[in-house]
Amino acid sequence: MKQLDFNDNQPEDSLNIDLGKYRAVPDTPSPALIAPGQVPPADARVMTRVGVSAAELERSATYIQEDFFPVCVAAHSEYLELLPIADALAKYDWLREKYYWQAVPANQDKYTAQASTVSEPQGYFIRVKAGAKIPYPVQACLYMTRGDIVQTVHNIVILEEGAELKLITGCTMRDGVRAGVHIGITESYVGINAKLTSTMVHSWSQETQVRPHSGTIVEAGGAYVENYCSLQPAKSVKTNPKTWLDGKGASAKYLTIILGSEGAAIDTGGEVYLNGKNTSAELAHRAVCTGGRINQTGLLVGSNVCRAHVDCAGMVVDARNDGFILSIPGLRSSHPEARMSHEASIGKIAPEQVEYLQSRGMDEREAISLIIRGFLGADVFGLGAELDARIEEIAELAGHGEA
Amino acid sequence: MRPNPNTLKIKALCVQVEGQELIHNLNLTIPEGEVHALLGPNGCGKTTLIMAIMGFPAYEVSQGQIFFEGRDITELGLTERARLGIGLTQQRPPTITGVRLQHIIDYVISNNPQRSDEIARLVSDFKMGPFLDRDIHAGLSGGEIKRAELFQLFVTHPRLALLDEPDSGIDMDALKLVGEMVNALLSKDPHRPAKRKTALIITHTNQILDYVPADKAHVMLDGRILCSGNPYIVINEIKQHGYEGCVTCLQAAKEIRS
Repeated sequence: MKQLDFNDNQPEDSLNIDLGKYRAVPDTPSPALIAPGQVPPADARVMTRVGVSAAELERSATYIQEDFFPVCVAAHSEYLELLPIADALAKYDWLREKYYWQAVPANQDKYTAQASTVSEPQGYFIRVKAGAKIPYPVQACLYMTRGDIVQTVHNIVILEEGAELKLITGCTMRDGVRAGVHIGITESYVGINAKLTSTMVHSWSQETQVRPHSGTIVEAGGAYVENYCSLQPAKSVKTNPKTWLDGKGASAKYLTIILGSEGAAIDTGGEVYLNGKNTSAELAHRAVCTGGRINQTGLLVGSNVCRAHVDCAGMVVDARNDGFILSIPGLRSSHPEARMSHEASIGKIAPEQVEYLQSRGMDEREAISLIIRGFLGADVFGLGAELDARIEEIAELAGHGEA
Repeated sequence: MRPNPNTLKIKALCVQVEGQELIHNLNLTIPEGEVHALLGPNGCGKTTLIMAIMGFPAYEVSQGQIFFEGRDITELGLTERARLGIGLTQQRPPTITGVRLQHIIDYVISNNPQRSDEIARLVSDFKMGPFLDRDIHAGLSGGEIKRAELFQLFVTHPRLALLDEPDSGIDMDALKLVGEMVNALLSKDPHRPAKRKTALIITHTNQILDYVPADKAHVMLDGRILCSGNPYIVINEIKQHGYEGCVTCLQAAKEIRS
């Protein structure tokens, strides 16, 4: 009988990227900046799928990076500063001392090491001034147009005391590009009573490999909300965003949605360190397996009076070619008054739920779509057609699988 | 063409669940605008019958036919039957995490935009506001589940309503609310002033019939309808003698005939 070796869950070759195979140094000159409205229509259409709008009607600022270089840097609010990270590092001495590589260690792994050796770092720097509530989201698109490179992005987001910001980061690639590596470092600093909502939408091609690394530090009364949605999975994604709730009453909330597909290996984690008194954290992972491997983990570490809950839920629609979901919610407590809980469940789409909705007049596909949408809590993302299309695809598979 | 006088006609129906026959050679006719009560002890096949009429795939018709408004629907699926105008309230409906009553309302309105105001009025009349944004049946009490189920029939507007024990497992206050809802659901509507909505109500306790007068009662025992008649007489007999009384009575009738 074949036994499951815990280390077998992700095959070595799919998670370990040979960075030497990809170009890391630009071979083209830095292009001139354009306005978001000047993005070529074919690219703009692709960006819309991950929540980035060239029209900017309901956006406060736009940053677009294409391969190695920023192409759009446009801010439309006086309370908001948006700069390419290289410019920000040149402008502010304190940035390197207090923030750069402080929430994500440069020596964490070979991907951070790679990012730290880039001679001219790329990525965005966003600062929201004290007390400012930015009405519309800031959007960033990290875009790849070629498959032979490793795109390295290093972002820093700083919210000063009482500031509020919604940030949408869409990561995707031009239609027809098959491979490539994306390494994203994002360090966020949420000040006293500030609130950052970061929504990240990924849509990749089948051969891409993606390594996002995020670290967030939240001060007293601050709140960090992270929504991550993987629409079209890459060949491999490994991410384990970490948040430190250092200040009294700080809070964090994660919602991670993974739509798997055949041949993809996705490992999404999430660690929250509840260090401050009366901090709270809530992690929710939702995954739909249609083939491919999905690991969903979550670790909460309580070292003070705190409340925390992690919940991993999976739905296996189709497990072709050794697909699976592995759910491991974890808790670690070193304080008697840390109240922590976890739950995990994996199941299929229950036929009685589908039939119930059919008895109200829906056809099978409509019922399955609604159930998947509800299971994912997908309304959070406000994504239109692309998310609908993926859910429809999964509903189609579910309708033709075993009932 | 004259509309068919019978909303539901069931001929010699046999229903199997997981290969076991639970309904045997059953006949039942409900003329348009009549409300029939289906009585019987637990496990006699009442729920099996209405699940089979609605078309749930686990309830397999092995023989016989079901006609809705004159059309043979025996081979039609669940969705088609719902779209033709059959609706039911389940006794133990599933919970559906993430799907809310509002989603079902949105679905109905997306197909019938002209009903939007009417449905908003229904929400307010039946005080359903607090239910709309809750996951379907999650954490609801027995009475609340009955109300949420009944409310969906106001929204989906079926011409044949199948109600599975709207009066079971609820307290007297909830019964009053549910009774009034059933009464409103089945009462004469302005478009068809002469008649009520056609319905088959399953009841084990008969309490619902204090709120909604039935035109006819059927007693079901062991997968067969063995007695039909004036609901006042039938219910009175059951109240006095229980379903054992029905068995004795039927036995006596059989002896007289033979």
